[in-house]
Amino acid sequence: MKETPKVSTETTPKNAEESGQDTRNTGPGRLLIAVYAVFAISATARAGYQIATKFAEAPLAHVLSAFAALVYVVATISLAKPGRTWFKVSLAAVLVELVGVIVVGAFSLFDPVAFPHDTVWSLFGRGYGFVPLVLPVLGLLWLNKRRPGRADTRVNGQ
Amino acid sequence: MDGYFYSVLAVGLLSTVICLVAGLMKKAPNDITILSVAAVELVLLVYLVGSIVRVVAGERISGEAWEFWGYLATALMLPLGAVYWSILERTRWSNFVLAAVGVTALVMAARMNQIWY
Repeated sequence: MKETPKVSTETTPKNAEESGQDTRNTGPGRLLIAVYAVFAISATARAGYQIATKFAEAPLAHVLSAFAALVYVVATISLAKPGRTWFKVSLAAVLVELVGVIVVGAFSLFDPVAFPHDTVWSLFGRGYGFVPLVLPVLGLLWLNKRRPGRADTRVNGQ
Repeated sequence: MDGYFYSVLAVGLLSTVICLVAGLMKKAPNDITILSVAAVELVLLVYLVGSIVRVVAGERISGEAWEFWGYLATALMLPLGAVYWSILERTRWSNFVLAAVGVTALVMAARMNQIWY
């Protein structure tokens, strides 16, 4: 993300116009949404599979899987949508994701008995290359960059 | 791990490296990066046809069959989605989206191999 400041200088007029309309789906945001989409799809498929085939073995872990999948779906959609309301939805989804990965990660580390089955967030997302831990941080940085009413966004918009 | 996996590994990694370099060089998606992702799609299509032939020939998938086909179908959609998106926005960031296709396909092919054997 350290390269993001360059974006404002290299965006096309179309992008500048769009950022004035309060969007988060251009530039690095596009990559972020793409990664979120991959996680939304894989987490949904995995949770659906777990619940359909072996829910009784570990209800808590599988409900958590489904919840994580829902958070990724909401984050993907809200990041792709323009406007202040969707910004708030994005912020809430990314914060829930960050809290979720830290809390579930810590619990699965200290109390493995309670989490016999893996979720996306188990051990801070180790099964997924720790991407689930990094993703919400990048998400928050990006949301801060495209905060509605932020000075540089307003300048672009006028 | 079979030949299909190593094909996806080779082509996927090559595509990811090409797209990453192009993105770091601040280039917009061009023929080279889009064709490298198309190559990933081609390998996956060969994987699909080969798998159908193997099943028809009587080979059994040891894991869940529908899970295998689900992974394969999703993997087949990724390059299409990424290329479509890269055409919509022609900035260097789209090259990073294209770069994500190769590694994702690689991870999915690894999982597909685990399910098959």
